[in-house]
Amino acid sequence: MTESDQAEKSSAGTAAPGQFGQLLSDNGIESNRLPDSCGVETIEVDRQQLENAVQRLRKSPEAVLDLLLAVSGVDSPESYDSVYHLWSTSKSGELVIKVRVAKSEVAPGELPEVPSLARIWSAANWHERESYDLVGIRYSGHPYLRRILNPWNWVGHPLRRDYKQPVDALNDKNPVSFR
Amino acid sequence: MKNQDASAESGAGKEEAGSLVIPAELKDTVTLTTIDKAVEFLSQTVLNTAVNWARSNSVWPLTFGTSCCAIEMMCVGMSAFDISRFGSEVFRATPRQADLIITAGTITRKMASALITLYEQLPEPKYVIAMGACTVTGGMFNDSYSVVQGVDRIIPVDVYLPGCPPRPEALLDALLKLQQKIRSESLTARRQRLYRQSPIRYVDYDSGRPVEDLVSDVHQEMNEIAEAVKFKADRS
Ligand code: SF4
Repeated sequence: MTESDQAEKSSAGTAAPGQFGQLLSDNGIESNRLPDSCGVETIEVDRQQLENAVQRLRKSPEAVLDLLLAVSGVDSPESYDSVYHLWSTSKSGELVIKVRVAKSEVAPGELPEVPSLARIWSAANWHERESYDLVGIRYSGHPYLRRILNPWNWVGHPLRRDYKQPVDALNDKNPVSFR
Repeated sequence: MKNQDASAESGAGKEEAGSLVIPAELKDTVTLTTIDKAVEFLSQTVLNTAVNWARSNSVWPLTFGTSCCAIEMMCVGMSAFDISRFGSEVFRATPRQADLIITAGTITRKMASALITLYEQLPEPKYVIAMGACTVTGGMFNDSYSVVQGVDRIIPVDVYLPGCPPRPEALLDALLKLQQKIRSESLTARRQRLYRQSPIRYVDYDSGRPVEDLVSDVHQEMNEIAEAVKFKADRS
């Protein structure tokens, strides 16, 4: 094990892969274990391998993570995260998958791209639209990636750290407002 | 036809008594002004009281609830609080049959255009009770990106009813306040200030002044210029 590997492992927190991380690495899919979230195993998966990994987790008889509970987007200081909560209806297993796109990789004016899971779970359709709407993660391969909560002509993604509210007659942002 | 003429004559007679000058060639016609004047004369005396009494006791609200405050609005319609004691139990499902919007709930920016449409579809005279902290000032969604910070930014409000949510008794109180307001106003006076009832006030972002005012400023300026030009032309 090289030094850089060690450094990466220690920064990732828990070194030993959990049940699902082990399953993935047995199938030749890399994953990185993160600190557990509320006692649930949490792994980070590269975005190129996301579809592969969830297909494997869904189909393999040891895991059967066949229910997608939620897709959420997070604007972390260093990256844009797309977070998937998977659950098994038959084996009561639970897993959190994070896909991180570093901010340095995203060109200014562009949105981070993550593959869409709408083909695998149709539940992902609206969740991904919401996370596109509010955090601005573009899900490539999504059948209808359009704003779902905000009006269609909305500018910007409101839950981003750098979001600036519009200045108009509907709020107090205008310093010379007559109200 | 005869009847009309007769009524016109009597109407005109009355107007002359009320010191309204009617040109000779219009003496035998009924014009809108004469009817208006007659109605105004009547309304200043007996009509207003009677009509307002009837109007104020049958304020029909629109079924409009966008979030938690709507629960209290429903509660007020049930038998425990019983809004029908005050004649407002007829919640209408269409704005065209309603007199009042109780904006019960948060108004988001996405809902704002729908609310404006609903307000415009209400037939005049129309009233608005801003129910709940959300619609009075934005309430606990103060500084939110998606919530309209006070519904009076998009439609004119008659009664403000703070509370999160207000008790049903408070809504009844607001209704009584509105009834007082209706009893104390005159329909003709209301019609004269109709232009101010337009739902949205556009604001100029550079000066922060309502666009209405800016437009009237420009009109005034144009009049001044026209007068100056005329003055020059007269002198030369
Ligand atoms: S004022 Fe309070 S109760 Fe009423 S809609 Fe707003 S949050 Fe809900």
